[in-house]
Amino acid sequence: MDNVIQAEGLSKSYDKLTAVNNLSLSVKRGTVFGLLGANGAGKSTAIECILGTKKYDRGMVRILNRDPRTERKILFQKVGVQFQEANYQENITVSELCGVTGALYHNALDSDKLLTRFGIADKKKSFVKDLSGGQKQRLFIVLALIPNPEVVFLDELTTGLDARARRDVWKILRGLKEEGMTMLLTSHFMDEVEVLCDMICILKNGETVFYGTTEEAIRMSPHDKMEDAYLWFTDEEGQQDENI
Amino acid sequence: MKTFKTMIITETKLSLRGLDMLIFAIFMPIAVLIILGVIYGEKPAFAGADYTFIAQSFGALTTISIAAGGVMGLPLLVSDYRSKKILKRFQVTPVSPMMILIVQVTIYTLYAVVSLVLLYLTAALFFSYRMQGSLLHFMGGYLLVLITMFSIGVMVGGIAKNSKIAGVIASLLYFPMFIFSGATLPYEVMPAAMRRAADVLPLTQGIKILKAASLGEAADNIFVPVLVMTVLAVSCIFISLRFFKWE
Repeated sequence: MDNVIQAEGLSKSYDKLTAVNNLSLSVKRGTVFGLLGANGAGKSTAIECILGTKKYDRGMVRILNRDPRTERKILFQKVGVQFQEANYQENITVSELCGVTGALYHNALDSDKLLTRFGIADKKKSFVKDLSGGQKQRLFIVLALIPNPEVVFLDELTTGLDARARRDVWKILRGLKEEGMTMLLTSHFMDEVEVLCDMICILKNGETVFYGTTEEAIRMSPHDKMEDAYLWFTDEEGQQDENI
Repeated sequence: MKTFKTMIITETKLSLRGLDMLIFAIFMPIAVLIILGVIYGEKPAFAGADYTFIAQSFGALTTISIAAGGVMGLPLLVSDYRSKKILKRFQVTPVSPMMILIVQVTIYTLYAVVSLVLLYLTAALFFSYRMQGSLLHFMGGYLLVLITMFSIGVMVGGIAKNSKIAGVIASLLYFPMFIFSGATLPYEVMPAAMRRAADVLPLTQGIKILKAASLGEAADNIFVPVLVMTVLAVSCIFISLRFFKWE
């Protein structure tokens, strides 16, 4: 068995609100897994439960066959994570942020090479806050890759980017995929999901409403486009119709 | 060790870039020392005293930097790093978020020590100051004051709901202590009623310890202040460990 990420029966509620209910997923080595759903559907909670930054109420999680809560120190040598919100210090430069990140790992990659590869080597001396949206996201991919990870988690990497920057980020992710990187990502853009994801899971109010490939999702819906199929699964189309 | 070294260099750079600690923890204490020195010179602290006014104030002045770092710098920084999710980011790396707190406490300790050395050199060179008491006792008291003030800071930063609230609490702690604890305005020149109010502030008690130690006064005078500071430090550390919020 070569499941890099394995979650079974994951459930998490806040007081009375169920954020994630009975979520199971497995991500095979070298594949890209997309976790989809509207805002508040439970994507971020699911990712955080899998990474161990949130305690789940029931279920089981393994990343690289390790428990992220009890084997954090060993496991996260080999895992790259990009959270949704930017999390860096005010007044820190690109090279300083890369340096500090590299110092956290035993076998960190040369960040200069990564910055060059993703076309932001000329920004090394710039403050992170002064980068454009696209440059920031490329930097965050660099940070996630610094540990030379076996798997990366990317939470809404392209939200807030313009069409051009979004395409650039896709190109990078496709390149990583071709190199065999295992990825779990969340996204709002179905064109992106169709291009990148081998398997998807659609969440609605914490429940899994679809699990499979994008082709299967389209086939199971009465539509022939992924975006329409996604809206059909999440019922957002129905709501939109009512508004009209 | 590699992690600690890289982090301390980078975080020190970031801190110096911010300028506020440089102003409040390094320049401010020196400025107050020079002002007191110019006004009171090397006059005796009071008629018949066998030590100068500057000698009396030295212990108090060394706490300005501790207070700036402990109850202003640390709470703001800890709550800021939490709201920016920097602490949370460490939870998905092999390094504990505790590391960044240790790094910050080290940096604020460095500010305090640099301030202490600069104050001593300035006082010794320009106002013929010599410490009459035991240096060992003074350093013991200094360490206790530092631990107490820093544990207050980490507690406030760790349990305040957000940076805004942390900022308000930090101001409420810092400014009264800065003005009324005797750190800047000498305790001895305050009217009796004001002194009684000042005695409530933890830093006032800390300053009593440092004054007694630096002037070589009898150790039994400082039993109560030492007890107050120790209890406070232990409580704050306990609350921090128990209720610290990483995000």
